[in-house]
Amino acid sequence: MSGFTISRRTMLTGSAMLLATTAMPTLGWAQTPKKGGRLVLAADSEPRNLNPAIVASNGVFFISSKIVETLAEASFDGKDGLAPRLALSWEGAADGLSATFKLRDGVKWHDGKPFTSADVAFSALQIWKPLQNLGRTVFKDLSAVDTPDDLTAVFKFAKPTPFQLIRNALPALSSVVPKHIYEVGKIEDNPANNAPIGTGPFKFGEYKAGQYYRLTKNTDYWGKDEPYLDEIIYQVLPDRTSAAAALEAEEIQLAAFSAVPLADLDRISKVPGLKVITKGYEGLTYQLVVEINHRRKELADVKVRQAIAHAIDKDFVVKTVFLGYAATATGPVPKNDPQFYTADVPTYAFDVAKANALLDEAGYRKGADGNRFSLKLLPAPYFNETKQFGDYLRQALAAVGIDAQLVNNDSAAHIKAVYTDHAFDLAVGPPVFRGDPAISTTILVQSGIPDGVPFSNQGGYKNDALDALITKASETLDTSARTDLYKEFQRQVAADLPLINVAEWSFISVASDKVGNIANNPRWAVSNWADTYLAG
Amino acid sequence: MSRLHRFLRTPEAVAGTILLAMLFAMALSASLLFPGDPQAIAGPALLPPFQNWSLPLGTDRLGRDVLAELFHGARTSLAVGLAAAAAALVVGAVVGTLAGFAGGLVDEVLMRITDAFQTVPGFLLALAFVSVVGPSLGVVVVAIALGTWTGPARIARAEVLSIRERDYVAGARVIGMHPLAIAFREVLPNALPPVLALSSVIVAAAILTEAALSFLGLGDPNRVTWGGMIAEGRTVLRTAPFLSIVPGIALVLTVLGVYLAGEGIVETTAVRRGLS
Repeated sequence: MSGFTISRRTMLTGSAMLLATTAMPTLGWAQTPKKGGRLVLAADSEPRNLNPAIVASNGVFFISSKIVETLAEASFDGKDGLAPRLALSWEGAADGLSATFKLRDGVKWHDGKPFTSADVAFSALQIWKPLQNLGRTVFKDLSAVDTPDDLTAVFKFAKPTPFQLIRNALPALSSVVPKHIYEVGKIEDNPANNAPIGTGPFKFGEYKAGQYYRLTKNTDYWGKDEPYLDEIIYQVLPDRTSAAAALEAEEIQLAAFSAVPLADLDRISKVPGLKVITKGYEGLTYQLVVEINHRRKELADVKVRQAIAHAIDKDFVVKTVFLGYAATATGPVPKNDPQFYTADVPTYAFDVAKANALLDEAGYRKGADGNRFSLKLLPAPYFNETKQFGDYLRQALAAVGIDAQLVNNDSAAHIKAVYTDHAFDLAVGPPVFRGDPAISTTILVQSGIPDGVPFSNQGGYKNDALDALITKASETLDTSARTDLYKEFQRQVAADLPLINVAEWSFISVASDKVGNIANNPRWAVSNWADTYLAG
Repeated sequence: MSRLHRFLRTPEAVAGTILLAMLFAMALSASLLFPGDPQAIAGPALLPPFQNWSLPLGTDRLGRDVLAELFHGARTSLAVGLAAAAAALVVGAVVGTLAGFAGGLVDEVLMRITDAFQTVPGFLLALAFVSVVGPSLGVVVVAIALGTWTGPARIARAEVLSIRERDYVAGARVIGMHPLAIAFREVLPNALPPVLALSSVIVAAAILTEAALSFLGLGDPNRVTWGGMIAEGRTVLRTAPFLSIVPGIALVLTVLGVYLAGEGIVETTAVRRGLS
C-alpha cells in the first residue's frame, strides 16, 4: 500500500520520543519555533470542491487556506484589523469607484510560474464576482480590474462601493487562484478545484476519501523561514466523540472547529499535555437565530414575535446548550465585532408573564388544552447546539401556550424545506457574521431575494424602511456614516424582529501543548499556518 | 395440567412475564406518575443519578427528568413494537393465506413480491422509507412492518398449503362456500398458531428497529423514545454515561422480556401439541 499510514511502529517510536522529550528540561522550548514535523489534526467534513475562490466557506478554508492565499488576512493588531498577504497595501478612492492593491513581489505559484496582477484580475472578474457564493454580493458592481504593472491591481466599480466593505471582505473573499491554470476550460470543472494550486505555505499532497488530506511544505514560500511544518495531515474523523479520544491517544495533535464536544472540554482540559483554546475564531462568529416565516398570520404580528423573544431565556441557552462557551445576542451584529456593534437596541428580557400578556393582546388566547396555536419548528441539523436549542425552544414555547412540533431533516432536506419550499413556521439557523453586515447579514432580512438562496430572507419578510436603510448603507462611502447606518439597522431589526437573535458563539480548539503559534489571528483555523510549529 | 400452569413452570417464561408486566406498568402509569410533558425542563442540566430524590435518575443535557423520559419512552417503544408486529402479522397472514389457498399465478406473483421484500434488509427498507416520508410515529410503524411481514407470510402460506388439502376444506367446497370465505373462515384460523409464534421475535425486532431509527435521528422528534435518549446521551458519553446507559438497560430488559415470554408461549404450545 502506497501513501501515508500511521503504523504501529511509527506510533511507538513517536511515543518513545515523546517520553524522551518530556524527561528533558522543558523550560522555554515553547517560545522558539522549531522547523520540521508533521501536524496531524481532525477533519470532520470532506469538501469535494477545495477551491476557496468559488466556495467561500469555513469547511473549505480549513484545508485550502494553507494552499491558496488571500490578498489580506485578519489580524488582532494590524491597521483596520488586517495583515498583508498577497497584497502589501490597499487604498480606496474617495469616490468609491476604484480601489488600488499593491502586490507582493517574488511570489511563485506552486508550479513555479510567477504570481502577478493578471492572476488577481482573473480571479476577481472570472471567479469572485460571477461564481463565488459571497463575492456575488460584495463584488456585484466590479466592472474591470486594471493591471498597469505586474504588481498593481486597480479594481474599478460601476457604482460607488464603500471601501470599508471591500476591506472587510478581503480575508474571506479574496482567494487568488492562478490564471494560467484556470483560463483553459470551464472554471467549475477545472481539476485544480479538487487539487488546488496556490501560492500558500503548503502544497496539496493527496486526498484519500474517508481517510485523510495531506499537505506538504512549499519550499519556495515567500515568507522568510516559513513554513515551519513539513506536513499537515487532516485525519477524517466524522464522529465528534472520536476526536477527543484521538487527542488523548496522541494520534492527532489538534482538533479545531469544536471537534471535541463542548461537554467534554471540562474533562479534557485536565488531561496533561492538552490545552483548550477559545481564541482564534473572533472573525468567524456564528449566530444562533430563530428564523420566522412571516407568511403565517400569527407570526406576521410583531406582538407575537416579541412574545417569542420574551419567552426565550437567553442566559439559560448560553449556560446549558453552549455550556458557557457563547454570549447572549442583542441583535444582528455580534457583540465581539469591533466596528459595527451597538448595545443601544430594544431588548427582550426573559419574561413568561409578559410573553403571555403580549399573546393575549394579539388576540391569541389559550384554548381548552392550554394551547394558543401550533407551529412547525425546524432546527438546522448542522450543529448539536442548533438541534438542542430546537428542543429547548419547543419547551420555551410550550410555557407560553404555543405548541411547536419539531421536524428533523438532514442538511439537504433542511435547506430545501426552509430556503426553497418555505415549509416552516420557525426555523433555527446558524448564520455567520463575516466582519461586515453587508457580506452575509443584511441578506437575512432584506426582501426581494429569489427562492432557494440559502441563509437569506426566505421568511417572506418585507419592510420598506429597512430595505431602504440597507440600500442606503450599501451606497454610503464614508466609513463613520456607513457604520452609523448599520447601528440604525441593528435598532430596527431588534425592534421589528424579522428574526430573533438568541446567542453568538464561536469554536474551540483543543491542541497538544507541543503545537505553537496557535490562535494568533482572529481567523486562525482558516488562515495559512505558515508560522505554526511543533515543539519537542 | 392447565396451559397457564405449564407456562408458569418454565422459569424463562416467568422471568419474561415479570419483565413485560413491569414494562406495561411503566407505560400505563407514565401519565399518572409523570403528568405533563416529559420533555419539560425540570431541573439543573446533567444532574447525575441518585443525587436528588425528586429527580432520581438525574437530568439530561437540557435538565429534563430522565426517569420521566424513561417511563414515557416505554410507551413509545411498546406502542411501536405492538403496532408494527400486529401490522406485519395481519399483512403477512393475509398475503400468505391468499397465496397458499389460491395457488397458481396468484401464488407466484405474491411470493415473488415477498421474495423481493425479503432480499432488501428490513432495517435499510425502514431507513429509506422514513427518510423519504418523514419521521412520525405512524410512519415508523409502517416502515418497520414493511420489513417484517414477509416471515409471517411465508409461514402462513406453508401452513395453508397443507391445510387446504384436508377433508373439511373439501367439504366446505362441496357445500358451495365462496373460496374467500373458505380461505379466511376455515383455513386461516387453523394456520395461525405457528404464525403467532413468530410474534415475540417480531415485537422484539420492532422495538430494536424503532430504537435504531430514533438513534439515527429518524424517530418522531416530538416524542420521547429510548433510542433518541441514547443518541442524545452519546455526545456526552464520556462525562455523563448514565444518559445512554439507563435507556440502554431499559431496552435490553424489554427485548429480553418479550423474547423470554414468547419463548415460554412457544414451549407451552409445543408441549400441548406433542401431548395431544
